[in-house]
Amino acid sequence: MNERVDEAGEARSTTPSAATGSGTEGAGTVGAGPGRVLVAVYGIFALAAGARAAVQIARQFDDAPLAYVLSAFAALVYLVLAVALARGNRVLALVACGVELAGVLIVGTLSLVDPGAFPKATVWSGFGSGYVFIPLVLPLLGLFWLSRRK
Amino acid sequence: MIGPLATGLIVLALVIALVSLLTTAMNKAMGNVLLIALGVLELGLLVQAGFLIAALVRGEGPAETATLIGYMAGTVVIPPVAAFWGVGERSRWGPAVIAVAGFAIPGMVGRMLQLWQGTA
Repeated sequence: MNERVDEAGEARSTTPSAATGSGTEGAGTVGAGPGRVLVAVYGIFALAAGARAAVQIARQFDDAPLAYVLSAFAALVYLVLAVALARGNRVLALVACGVELAGVLIVGTLSLVDPGAFPKATVWSGFGSGYVFIPLVLPLLGLFWLSRRK
Repeated sequence: MIGPLATGLIVLALVIALVSLLTTAMNKAMGNVLLIALGVLELGLLVQAGFLIAALVRGEGPAETATLIGYMAGTVVIPPVAAFWGVGERSRWGPAVIAVAGFAIPGMVGRMLQLWQGTA
């Protein structure tokens, strides 16, 4: 059953996951603990955005090429982030987080200023309002998490 | 789609999510109860996928068949991956991973219901 854990860090030091990050730096810190939750959320967003973009591009690409390509790009960024965090690649994760934050801010602003350019919604439209603003909060959480541990 | 089965899956996933959050709040690692519940959820999702595929083969699918299949595949893949990813973390953050999956499943099953009924 549930075993009591005094402190997250203490429990982590004995897990095999902390030792699996061979090669790349700090898999045990970036991809463990709260980092695991980030990886899970990014994984689900990569799946959701990727599947959505694949369907849209395959079936109705001409409706809104820009929006659909952006959806696919967003899915790619989420995928890179999930893998980089899981493998403990801090630098790649930081870069992807920056791209993600820039993407959601730029696309979010553009979609409000010039709605005509985005006839179909992307994950980043309206600062991610279609996804309870998770796309806006995620990169901030990611950057916070990545900058906190060294 | 079968309404009662979908509703049951949504409720079960939400219960799993809430228990997971509670476990995280109490600073405990993953327990067997959560794993078994996740297994039951996965079985239910597989049954639902089976019924859906059978219906699609019979040509009863909605207009958005491709999107529906995408969601269906997602719901079947997420619980085992979450279990794998959550069990590897022997701290309070293991169940937190399960909570993420527990909240994602109801959203996806809900969207599948909407697609099936043609209301979205």
